[in-house]
Amino acid sequence: MDKTAVLDLSEALNRADGDRDLFLTLAGLFLQESSKEIASARAALEQQDHAGLAAAAHKLKGSVMEMCAPRLFESTKRLEELGRQGELTKAWPVCADVETRLVEVHAVLRELIAGGFPS
Amino acid sequence: MNSHATPRIGQVSGSPAGPETAIATILLIEDEPVARTSMAARLMRLGYRILQAENGRVGLDLARRTRPDLLIVDWMMPVMDGLTFCEAVRRDPLLKSSQILLMTAHDTPAQIAEGLVRGADDFLSKSASKQEIIARVLAGLRTSRLVRKLETTGDELKSSMVLLEKKQAETEADLQTAAAFVRSLLPSQGSPIHGVTLAWEYQPSLTLGGDLFDVMVIDADHLGLYILDASGHGVAAALRSASLMTFLRVENILQMLGSYDPEKVLFEANRRFPLSADGDYFTLWVGELHLPTLSLSYASAGHSGTLLSSAQGPSRWLTHASFPLGFDPSAQFTRDHVSLKPADRLFLLSDGIYEAPSPSSELWGRGRFQEVIDAGKQTSLSATIASCFSVARGWQQAQHFPDDAAVVGIELTECQEGGFNG
Repeated sequence: MDKTAVLDLSEALNRADGDRDLFLTLAGLFLQESSKEIASARAALEQQDHAGLAAAAHKLKGSVMEMCAPRLFESTKRLEELGRQGELTKAWPVCADVETRLVEVHAVLRELIAGGFPS
Repeated sequence: MNSHATPRIGQVSGSPAGPETAIATILLIEDEPVARTSMAARLMRLGYRILQAENGRVGLDLARRTRPDLLIVDWMMPVMDGLTFCEAVRRDPLLKSSQILLMTAHDTPAQIAEGLVRGADDFLSKSASKQEIIARVLAGLRTSRLVRKLETTGDELKSSMVLLEKKQAETEADLQTAAAFVRSLLPSQGSPIHGVTLAWEYQPSLTLGGDLFDVMVIDADHLGLYILDASGHGVAAALRSASLMTFLRVENILQMLGSYDPEKVLFEANRRFPLSADGDYFTLWVGELHLPTLSLSYASAGHSGTLLSSAQGPSRWLTHASFPLGFDPSAQFTRDHVSLKPADRLFLLSDGIYEAPSPSSELWGRGRFQEVIDAGKQTSLSATIASCFSVARGWQQAQHFPDDAAVVGIELTECQEGGFNG
């Protein structure tokens, strides 16, 4: 697996001005918030609420950007677009893809939080 | 490990160095906690004091309470989005001049135009580099400082104007009091002594005038009269005139000179009131009327305005060339005599009345003044004087005269028995 496609740690640290403590703080926050945000997106999808889906995906996209997770970002961006366009049928598989990629990112972040940065 | 605890929304965070007054405050309004925490940390690292809010409504309330130097606002937010927040700020009297940076991924020309139209000052991409964030924040704060300085200057100017208006009102009140005092020094109209009627009209060019006059009973047989004109106008001229007026009081002159002989009065006045360092001087006409014989002795120091209006014959000007007071300490002032007859009128006037200019700058002139006096022989003294002012105002097509204007008239009333004064 291309690890930088899941989470570009170098870029993410650069975005945090090289501050590892800040990055870990953001990572912990991301673990909490992104779980809530993807749950909101799925709930909106189940309720056929395309505006709610777009809003939840947009919010998730903002936090993903901070983590520098390129594949997750692209999926989330696509989900927001479909929600905005009202293409809910097409949104189902994209939402599933976002959930899968989010699990990948969470795993990397948990590893970093627990084990520290690779030397 | 985790030293970056998430700052609480609506509270101040940051540990900037330096004095409190030099630290700019930035209000960051963003609903997404990770993005908000990240941006807040980056701004704190740059030394700013950071306030945080999770939507436009909370941000607006916080902005009203804290008046931050810069507002950084996310475009898309629940409750109140960034564009609505911008509009609310521009409508708010307290906040309307705030600088707003709108954070967005929307960067099409139409979206940028919409953001600007609805109140944003600049845009900040969510993926902006550190350098771009620094540049846009510095630009926003620079503008904010200039706007604040302009507002402060405007406020100071308003305060100064209020103070100035108050001072002007006080000065105007002082001038009105002084004018009332000067006016109280002027003689009462009517009959100062049996057989004489006195009427006058006086309009200073400013609140305070430098032309003054008096008609005084010296004793049962003598009436003293004078008109003086101080060069210049306003407070300084009025104060100098009041000083000369005090000198010319009957009791003062009699104590000093033993009589109200016009020649002696002018000689002494000339000695005591030299040309001022600023070149200010007086002209003065002094007369003494011996009531049993109706003999008028008079002398003039540069004053050219006294007209004898005879009831039977032609009018004549009682003056001759002489220096004003103070020009030559050894100057002599020639005393003249003229015999008046019952019903004659004597007019003392300042040059301000006959030097009233027409719109084409032609002076009204002593000739036209004399025509009005001659035409008014059959009307009352006060009506004739009022007519002088009315015609002069018509000539200059203005209500106020550019110089102090005064006309003082005395009329010798005939006694029932056919003689004068018994």
